[in-house]
Amino acid sequence: MNWSVFRLLYVHEMRMLVRARRTIVLAVLLPALVMPLMLLASKYSNDQRAQTLADTTYKFAIMGPLSVRVRGLIEKTGSQHSTSVRPFKFTEILTNDPAKALETGDIQFYIRTQTGEEADNLPGIPKERLKGVPLVTVVYRGNQDVSNNGRGRIVELLELARQSDTELALAQHGFAADTQQLFVISSTNLATGGQVTGLTVGRFITAILVMLMFTGGSVAALDIIAGEKERGTLETLLTTAAGRSEIVAAKQFAISSVALAITLIQALNFFVYIKLKVINLPEGFRLELSSSMALTLLLLFAPLAITLGSILLMLSAYAKSYKEAHLYFFPVYLLGLLLSLTSLLPGVPLRSAIAIVPIANVSVAAREILVGRPDLPMILLTFLVMVGVASWLMRTARQMLSREDIILPAHAEPAEFIGGRALFGKRVLRWFALMWAIEFAAAANVPQLASLQRQIVFNEVFLMLGASILMIRIYKLDLRETLSLRAVKPVVWLAIICAIPTANSAAVAVFRLANIFIPVSEELLRSTSESIIPPGIPQWQLFVFLAVLPALCEEIAFRGMLLSGLRHRLRPVTLAITIGLVFGMFHMTLFRIAPTAVLGVVLTAIALMTGSIFPGMLLHMGNNAWGVWAGLHDFDPDTMGPWQFAAMLAIFALSMWIIYRNRVRPGMSHTRS
Amino acid sequence: MTAPISVRELCKTFFDEGRGEIQAVNSISFECHEGEVFGLLGANGAGKTTTLRMLSTIIAPTSGSAAVLGHDVVTDPEGVRRNLGFYSASTALYPRLTARETIEFFAQINQYPPGSVTDRVNCLIERFGITKYADSRVDRLSSGMKQKVSIARTVAHDPRIIIFDEPTVGLDVLNALEVQDSIRQLRTEGKTIIFSTHIMSEAEKLCDRIAIIHGGRILACDTLANLRTSTGEHYLEDIFVHFVKDPRNRK
Repeated sequence: MNWSVFRLLYVHEMRMLVRARRTIVLAVLLPALVMPLMLLASKYSNDQRAQTLADTTYKFAIMGPLSVRVRGLIEKTGSQHSTSVRPFKFTEILTNDPAKALETGDIQFYIRTQTGEEADNLPGIPKERLKGVPLVTVVYRGNQDVSNNGRGRIVELLELARQSDTELALAQHGFAADTQQLFVISSTNLATGGQVTGLTVGRFITAILVMLMFTGGSVAALDIIAGEKERGTLETLLTTAAGRSEIVAAKQFAISSVALAITLIQALNFFVYIKLKVINLPEGFRLELSSSMALTLLLLFAPLAITLGSILLMLSAYAKSYKEAHLYFFPVYLLGLLLSLTSLLPGVPLRSAIAIVPIANVSVAAREILVGRPDLPMILLTFLVMVGVASWLMRTARQMLSREDIILPAHAEPAEFIGGRALFGKRVLRWFALMWAIEFAAAANVPQLASLQRQIVFNEVFLMLGASILMIRIYKLDLRETLSLRAVKPVVWLAIICAIPTANSAAVAVFRLANIFIPVSEELLRSTSESIIPPGIPQWQLFVFLAVLPALCEEIAFRGMLLSGLRHRLRPVTLAITIGLVFGMFHMTLFRIAPTAVLGVVLTAIALMTGSIFPGMLLHMGNNAWGVWAGLHDFDPDTMGPWQFAAMLAIFALSMWIIYRNRVRPGMSHTRS
Repeated sequence: MTAPISVRELCKTFFDEGRGEIQAVNSISFECHEGEVFGLLGANGAGKTTTLRMLSTIIAPTSGSAAVLGHDVVTDPEGVRRNLGFYSASTALYPRLTARETIEFFAQINQYPPGSVTDRVNCLIERFGITKYADSRVDRLSSGMKQKVSIARTVAHDPRIIIFDEPTVGLDVLNALEVQDSIRQLRTEGKTIIFSTHIMSEAEKLCDRIAIIHGGRILACDTLANLRTSTGEHYLEDIFVHFVKDPRNRK
């Protein structure tokens, strides 16, 4: 990175932005001026409304056999509780037809009283009413503000009147009259005021930041590449001695700076509004933010800002014009906002899979920090995830500026026209995303898939095998090459047979490790185990549905299609990890993802080393069959001692080493094909 | 002595949504000599702009190689761009910068010695006759003025190689003549210039050597005098038609 070029470009970008007067007016000055005006106007309007309603003398009527009693109670309660109820002036209008009077606006509401007998015969009366109890109904017009408000106040008064009436009735029948003396209702809050405030702020702080940074950053981002493309200045810039890395870094930094500046301006506005009492903070609001908490939050928000900046930059680069960039912005903004609202979900701690979901992890971490319960290892993991994501996005943004279809939008990607294998490589991940979505939606919404057999047939045969056949047909792929249908050396088969029982032990080790981060209750384990191996199914069917079919269909899909599609796009290690992760994601349950992902990595590595799908297929089948056998015979791997465990892992490692030693090198084949 | 610009069997294939695979540049080779104006003469869509975009490293070649002052366009694109000024109708100016700021920015970004930038900017402002509006924003300048600022920004870092890709497109006669004068002046300063055009008279007046490019291939490359001799035609227009209509040159 040439820092002097980067600095020059950054200053240049900022100068261009500052000189965009309309942008500055619309993004900074207008909100700063209009917002307090709007809030003041709203406050003034609310105050005026409250005053008007308080000054109003509500006209009402009472009808029915209990009119006298209710009228007396209202008058008595109104005078007794004049300080505890909201200001309320009312006057009764005598009328023979209250309904008509309400219709013509002569009264705001009327009270209809009915005896217990009358009420018992009414349809749709309140469920909580006991038989024989008189009914008092307030009839009003909800579409009229005054009528609605009057109804609220008279109901409040009637509730108090009913209480007084009950006390009177109790006293008349010889009971202690003061209900307040029967029991006292109180609540004790163990959280400090600071923690309560921290929870409130922590729930929303990330969402507010994401919202402000997205909207603020978009002011710069949408123009910074899409606008330059449209004006023709991007090509001018690309012909200078500045490298693509410096151009991207400067633009990215400019976006983040603008986003930060606008966020700070809005925060400053907010404090000014509080000072001016345009916004009133909740009662007891007291934010306790120590320096270490502030620093931790800053460490999490910094990569978040870079991530958002990079997303906006990529969006701007991808769009062919400023207008198109605006079209893409909204869904991306909504998605970002949705992730940032994860902190609102109850019962989602940072010590869960959420720690690896970008933006959502910061949202939950910020909440835990602000309530004073920071989980430091998980906060560190969150920070690392965010730094990783931010770096990857910056790298991708730089690569985008090297893509001709991005710089010169008239030209499409070669693969679109060549079709076949080249296009398959570009589309394979979309296929798997669609397959995952179908599997997810079907499992949750199709009751016909409730049985194990039907679900397996749907997932494995219809989805995995069906989609693989479709891909082969659509992209006209060579079956043998795509699925790596090759024979391997006998020693590889031997190694696979040794690996079958030991792979399960390795998976158990991974499961134990995953359990540290995503703790799973015993209850959940048992119910999941029962759902995988439901009782009452013949054993041979269990082996067919849980071992044979998944091994055949999943190996064709993952180590055949997916591996073939991504083989030329990723390096071997990244390839194995990617396919492993996708494989894990298809095993929906959260705590099963990690062990199945590891198994997926191992199976992919075997496919890469042997150049064949068959050894992995056997290992997959054997591993699943071993799991079924263990489930049927109540074999608990936890009962194994450490030495047994170590021996199993050693045999597994030896098997892998044998396979590695007999690997197929590019351009050579050990066996007949 | 190594030629400042050397192009060997350069190819570029595009994929257009409407037309599918297009061989925009098909194995072209040429060299430019020090201090000459080398013309790329061809109709619209002949492959001139694609060739020049590859030379300026905006896009990468599909195959073949090209080097500018020994810097390979694929392996050392930044080295190429440091020594190159690229001007085309599609390379616009920043509307919110002044003429002076524009020249200054391009001198700095192309790593002109920092201590000499101000002198260089003043010199170019005077030379291109833009003193009066040097501090006006580009979006308030007329087309002719913008053209001058554009050329000034192209040569702001005093590059040895300058590419002009159809520089007079959309200009009136007077402004086009001013651009031609600027190119002549740059030649006298010893710059090596590649000048692409579809206007025959411009090529006749300015170019020391002319390459006739058609359908992504170079059909002929020589001095105007030699082209006249080899074809028996006098006017460049006739020479151009001679090569383009030659059945041997059809795909």
